[in-house]
Amino acid sequence: MKQSDSDNFETKGQWERTAVYSAWVAGVFSVVVAALLFVNYLQLKVLIPLREERLEAMKLKVADSSADAQLVGQIRQLDLDIRRDRIRGQGFSHRGSYLLLGGFIVLIAGAKLVSYLRKQLPHPEGQREGRAEQMQEANAGRWAITAGLIVVGAGALIFALMPTTDYGGSEVSSYPSAEDIAANWARFRGPGGLGISAYTNVPEKFDVEGGEGIVWKTAIPLAGFNSPIVWGERVFISGGDEKALQVYCYDAANGKLLWTGDVPRQGEEKVNPMEDTGFAAPTMVTDGRRVYAIFATGDIGCFDFTGKRLWAMNLGVPDNAYGHASSLAMYRNLVLVQLDQGQAEDEKSRLIALEGFSGGTVWEVKRRVSGSWTSPIVIETEKGPQIITCADPCMIAYKATNGAELWRADCLGPDVAPSAVYGNGLVYAIHPYTKLVAYRADGTGDVTETHIAWTADEGISDICSPLTNGKVVLVLTTDGLLTCYDAKDGKKLWDKELEEEFFASPSFVGEKVYLLSGKGVLIVADISGGYKDVARSELGEKCFASPGFADGRIYIRGEKNLYRIGNRAGE
Amino acid sequence: MIRKSLILSILLLAVPYAAAFGAERFPPPEFESGYELPSPTTPSPRVDVFEYIDAVVLFAALSVGTYLVLKKRSRRWIFALMVFSLVYFGFYRKGCVCPIGAIQNAAMTVFDKSYAMPVVVLAFLILPFVFTLFFGRVFCAAVCPLGAIQDLFVLKPIAIPRWLDSSLRLFAYLYLGLGILFAATGSAFVICRYDPFVGFFRVTGSFNMIVAGICLLVIGIFIGRPYCRFLCPYSVILRQFSRISRWRVTITPDDCIQCRLCEDACPFGAIRSPAAKWRGEDYSVGKKRLALLLVLLGVLVVFGGWVASRASGWMARVDWRVRLADRVYLEETGKVSDTTDASAAFRATGEEIKELYAEASDIEAKMATGSWILGGFMGLVAGLKLVGHSVRRTRTDYEADRASCFACGRCFTYCPREHARLDKLKNKEEGK
Repeated sequence: MKQSDSDNFETKGQWERTAVYSAWVAGVFSVVVAALLFVNYLQLKVLIPLREERLEAMKLKVADSSADAQLVGQIRQLDLDIRRDRIRGQGFSHRGSYLLLGGFIVLIAGAKLVSYLRKQLPHPEGQREGRAEQMQEANAGRWAITAGLIVVGAGALIFALMPTTDYGGSEVSSYPSAEDIAANWARFRGPGGLGISAYTNVPEKFDVEGGEGIVWKTAIPLAGFNSPIVWGERVFISGGDEKALQVYCYDAANGKLLWTGDVPRQGEEKVNPMEDTGFAAPTMVTDGRRVYAIFATGDIGCFDFTGKRLWAMNLGVPDNAYGHASSLAMYRNLVLVQLDQGQAEDEKSRLIALEGFSGGTVWEVKRRVSGSWTSPIVIETEKGPQIITCADPCMIAYKATNGAELWRADCLGPDVAPSAVYGNGLVYAIHPYTKLVAYRADGTGDVTETHIAWTADEGISDICSPLTNGKVVLVLTTDGLLTCYDAKDGKKLWDKELEEEFFASPSFVGEKVYLLSGKGVLIVADISGGYKDVARSELGEKCFASPGFADGRIYIRGEKNLYRIGNRAGE
Repeated sequence: MIRKSLILSILLLAVPYAAAFGAERFPPPEFESGYELPSPTTPSPRVDVFEYIDAVVLFAALSVGTYLVLKKRSRRWIFALMVFSLVYFGFYRKGCVCPIGAIQNAAMTVFDKSYAMPVVVLAFLILPFVFTLFFGRVFCAAVCPLGAIQDLFVLKPIAIPRWLDSSLRLFAYLYLGLGILFAATGSAFVICRYDPFVGFFRVTGSFNMIVAGICLLVIGIFIGRPYCRFLCPYSVILRQFSRISRWRVTITPDDCIQCRLCEDACPFGAIRSPAAKWRGEDYSVGKKRLALLLVLLGVLVVFGGWVASRASGWMARVDWRVRLADRVYLEETGKVSDTTDASAAFRATGEEIKELYAEASDIEAKMATGSWILGGFMGLVAGLKLVGHSVRRTRTDYEADRASCFACGRCFTYCPREHARLDKLKNKEEGK
């Protein structure tokens, strides 16, 4: 029996020694691995970020002096080194973690075994758990619970003091409602880009010399061919030259220039747009809270209604023979930029959707089209909202939410300037000097042959966009020929020689069409039963921009002045 | 000395271990060569059948655990099952699904009609409940990987006073309440997000949670299973089921001989010694106190609700939608001039800001209601605990506390009656 106890004791001793040694070996191993991992961690968290800062500094430097090939080489090498070291570091961290885990397991097993083998037998002493002791413990328990409750309650009250947000302006919208858009003139050619006034109480005649119908006239600081846009009591236009790119906000009530916003030129590339296009041909767009403007330099800026610049960026100087002229459009909170340039095979053209508040790119699609001067329109169809674009050689429709191409029609040719219009399920586009085409907007893929409704080839314009009220389509050539087609089948109804030169696109006010000539003559005609002159008024200065319409008013941008036509308040 | 050295070495390893797991990813390069980054692919989900296998393994482990705890009464085998569970449910299954987190799925199922709880998750939630209801906390004993990993670190346990143990447990109730509240409002699964041990199982995780896990394990060297005792929300529920369990762990296989050898056997402070009779004057005072506390119970419920409701605004900020609304609000009111990744992503969706505000306000309203309930619940728990410390108990033997006992089986070998039983069994087998 004694021999057996002795053997047991010996065996236990051997186990204990084995456990201790194993634990120590595992412990030392783990410490070494852990130390290496810690060094690796420091490298990943401290040293590499320092090198990344150096890399960023070098990148900024290269932006200033793009010709420094040696610096570019150093940047590439450093970038490669950093990435390689990071990947190595992460691999080491991953493998080391498993090694450490293994070391830990052996260490814990050894420690547990030692703990088990050295367990002491209990030696209970004295009397315990007397009533007094139990009462004392219960008393302490109550106090402890009370203390715990106070701690938790105090914690809650401290958190209660932290500020929270009261969404007082919870009616804030990401984008304007359809009603607001319809009530304002927020983009080139107003709601939907259709050139149709929501108001029929618009004046038909004015007299600049006599002052009749001229509410105010105010000078425009810098030139531009863009049209006025209107939101509530604010009127916006832009202007620019090689030195400055500016946005102007006017008080609709009195024509006072409320603020001027500067869009900074970014990039050193020289820009030489044609004189007929200038730096500020694209019309601005607004969502009722912010206004957006793009220029021939590719610079785009965003301002709030107080004139605070929210963001600005450069999309690259558009490679456009005449200068960039495509106006901005909006779909909900997305600012749509049709940046057509170069030749189709260059694949430089893009349609970009920028998030209005931040200017971040939400989506961008490449367009295999040549440079154009058209503006995109957004239409609502049964299949959802579509963005319609025109350029050489295609009219292309995109899904407004993500920019996916929906359909295309190979129907256009070089130098497209007129924008498309939409009515009665048909999209009308112009191949300059050649044809007016009408396509159904419910197709997918190539609809060139499958969804064409009709074509017409008489009196086709080259600059002015067409106009439709769903019943007729009007086309106005630069040299003043106004042609009217049946919107349904394209049958020519009549034409009229206006004996004026036109650059501004025509607009509908009820059954009357408003035509603003290059010399500044506003022609109002009733076309309900063929063409009939209603009134002609002379502005007295050249006009290239399409007018903007509001409740009882017309805003006209002359070469040098901005006009509000209408009755004075109270009259 | 050696044991102290080993403990010290474990402590020394703690911080570097966190560093090992805490390495983060880095952004992709900005290619200028026209190279297009490949689209990320989503790995195929695990085949459904394995989920059912997990549930079967859970059922089997609970059954075997029950047999080992109640019938075989073998700490060694319980330990072996615990290690198996740690490997399978912990390291192999990466700590998910786990019954602890499943509480949130259940809460969300109840309050969100669009959410349906997967059958396997339901099984993981219910099976330990059922087993606890009949056999005590066998799940905690040998099946829960979180308990298992802590159990391994119980090396130098010290006894902590019952009053402290009891008050610290308030945090587990609070954690349970918050977990359910946040899940019910669809705000967050905080119990999963702040699982301190899942980082070890996955050999990766956030630096903070790895550090938290290490802290708990280091504390666990001295205070057995600190997460299970003072934080685990599932443990709170199992405690209540265990109180009324049909069968349960007993220290002695038959009669207690009051030898007191088991007095300090439990590293979790779950062994209760016999309670002496009250003296007359104690009884009188105790009765008055009890009456007062019962009256106070209602006050605590209302007061708790009121206090918690004050903090509901902060609690609502746990929800990402409310935080996003806050951020967008700051941007819209011009209080900040830039956007965050989250706000830029929101804006890119084109969703309405007013709808975001409305959703955030709705969550705040729900949180306000929920925080009243949570506060009331906490007041009730604290009140009942005060009552629990004020009621007369009669106990003649050394017993494992029904609620607190993890059924780990450590106390068995301290009982001379257990040794007698084992000797008897051995003799019987030898006789055969």
